[in-house]
Amino acid sequence: MLPTYLQVAPLTVVLTLFFVVPVGLVVLVSFFRYQMLVGIVPDFTLKNYVDLLTNPTTWTLYQSTLKFTLIVLAITFALGFWIAYFLVFHVRNLLTAIGLFLVCTVPFWTSNIIRMISWRPVLGKEGLINSALLNTGVIDQPIEWLLYSDFSVVVAYVHLFTLFMIVPIFNSMARIDKSLLEAAVDAGASRWGVIWNVVLPLSKTGIALGALFVVTLVMGDFFVVTVMSGGLSGSATSGIFNDLQFLNYPRAAANAVILLIIVLLIAASIFRLVDVRKELVR
Amino acid sequence: MNTMTAKATPDTAAGTRESGEIRLVGVTKKFGNAYAVESIDLTIPHGSYCCLLGPSGCGKTTILRMIAGHETPTSGEIFIGEDMVVGKPPVERGTAMMFQSYALFPHLSILDNVAFYLKMRNVGKEERRGKALEMLERVQLDHLKDRMPAQLSGGQQQRVALARSLITNPKVLLLDEPLSALDEFLRLKMRGELKSLQDELGITFVHVTHTQPEAIALADMVVVMDTGRIDQADNANTIYNRPKTPYVARFMGGQNVLTGTVESNAGGAGTLKSEAGSTFEVKLNDSSATVGSKLSIAVRRDQVTIRRGDEASSVGANSIAGIVEATEYQGSYVKVTLRAEGDEFVANVSDRAFFAEPVETGDPVVATWNPEDIHVLSKVDTGGAGDSYLDGGH
Repeated sequence: MLPTYLQVAPLTVVLTLFFVVPVGLVVLVSFFRYQMLVGIVPDFTLKNYVDLLTNPTTWTLYQSTLKFTLIVLAITFALGFWIAYFLVFHVRNLLTAIGLFLVCTVPFWTSNIIRMISWRPVLGKEGLINSALLNTGVIDQPIEWLLYSDFSVVVAYVHLFTLFMIVPIFNSMARIDKSLLEAAVDAGASRWGVIWNVVLPLSKTGIALGALFVVTLVMGDFFVVTVMSGGLSGSATSGIFNDLQFLNYPRAAANAVILLIIVLLIAASIFRLVDVRKELVR
Repeated sequence: MNTMTAKATPDTAAGTRESGEIRLVGVTKKFGNAYAVESIDLTIPHGSYCCLLGPSGCGKTTILRMIAGHETPTSGEIFIGEDMVVGKPPVERGTAMMFQSYALFPHLSILDNVAFYLKMRNVGKEERRGKALEMLERVQLDHLKDRMPAQLSGGQQQRVALARSLITNPKVLLLDEPLSALDEFLRLKMRGELKSLQDELGITFVHVTHTQPEAIALADMVVVMDTGRIDQADNANTIYNRPKTPYVARFMGGQNVLTGTVESNAGGAGTLKSEAGSTFEVKLNDSSATVGSKLSIAVRRDQVTIRRGDEASSVGANSIAGIVEATEYQGSYVKVTLRAEGDEFVANVSDRAFFAEPVETGDPVVATWNPEDIHVLSKVDTGGAGDSYLDGGH
């Protein structure tokens, strides 16, 4: 038997090397000074934070990121919950359920970029939807807001991230004893009554985990929002990206720290609502 | 009890609450191409304690679930009282089901579990909690009202499940193997409590079980089932002492089944001859038993006496020779298993008689009985269905 400290050593090393050190460095650099033409100068200054927080662009970017997060969260939850519900409680055959579950993962067989770009011929000005609507005479001008808009950003996010909501909710639901649903019906619950009083509370863990995935993915994204909005919208991360392009690492680091704090706050509030750790060992 | 009837008044479910008689008419249930239950006709009288008894997979739970409304019959009709209930939700049927796993809501406290039915009827929080608490008092669990189901023992969980079923004020209570998850001691205790509860409430209980002693101890009416069919539905005494078929005789335990060819039939006094040559005297009151036809009879294990004997030649009528295969001490009696004429034959010998003249494994013995203890079965034995299962009874 190895001593305890040796048993935990590998994980500790991995976590330290790939998590604690990089985050520590980012926090450290966020207090450094940036000098044009010189680069990073070691220092201890709050200038980067003050710069960011007094800059209205930062606020706009965060606002738009939070807006996207909330919209995408709502849509992926609605989709994820019903798809998982359907797979778990309506598909009686296990093989069919697994098959349908695999179908949900089909979008992940191609790369992120292709999945996003493939929306262009669908949503574009001369795309599938617009030409179909034009040809059937529903509209006589192509709808402009289908592509390069908040709408297309949300569409892409939902397309990319719904699976991250389905999987944990599916997992929670699959563990619900079917006789609980019958017991609820026996006690006079309607279909909605069963969902609201039994299925939803017992899927809380999955919903919380799914929400966590979606929040972190959307908050950390700048690529989807840039491509799908045609550069019209940005996200908090785009601010970081811009700073990096100008080699302004200190300000990028400060922005990263702010983003990290916000995501951690959201995560903390999710965990406050649902005791995920307790539920996972159940 | 008075609190129970008082609770009946706010109930607005359809139908009259008086009769809890259950009538199944030609009920069939198919899963895919397999029959779970095949054209069952059964009437369970109002206010009786009925046990559906049979081995796993015989369709007893399917019948229960169809009465409860959790399964729809493929064809046939189910009546509760005067109402045809197929297609109606459980609450309108006036049934309440207690699930095998109890199916308590793990996210709700005991009190809210019991109050669930009232919540579904939009009864206010204070009122429904008050009523649920009364119900918990009835099952003596009011001191645990704020616990979660996982914090209760099996017996306590079952009481909660019972309280949750009874708060719906059902006219029929359906119990799916309610005692199977309990240990021996609790099982006997709860068995007694279920029986006295049924006496007190006077509603119809339908109880699914695969344990014969449970059915015999509890039921006014025992329904013995064999793969999708009802073999016999009668009171416990008749089922145990006068089984109709070899299957029921075997399944209930306590009986030996013997088969022979009718040798003679002189005005009801007949003789049978088994394939190995033993003769049995039988009272035949049914004229269909013509000479030369086959007939099966049953004799109770505890009405058999055994003595040491050597060869079949010395064996008279109403006896069978065999070799002792096993002896098993059961306290008040000894279960002696013989291998006789290629079949198993069991004699339950009182301990006094056994120890006066003990036999051991390998001893040749002769088992004898009085001809009046013979009971003629309506079907010829074709070998026990589900034999491995049948050895449980004593």
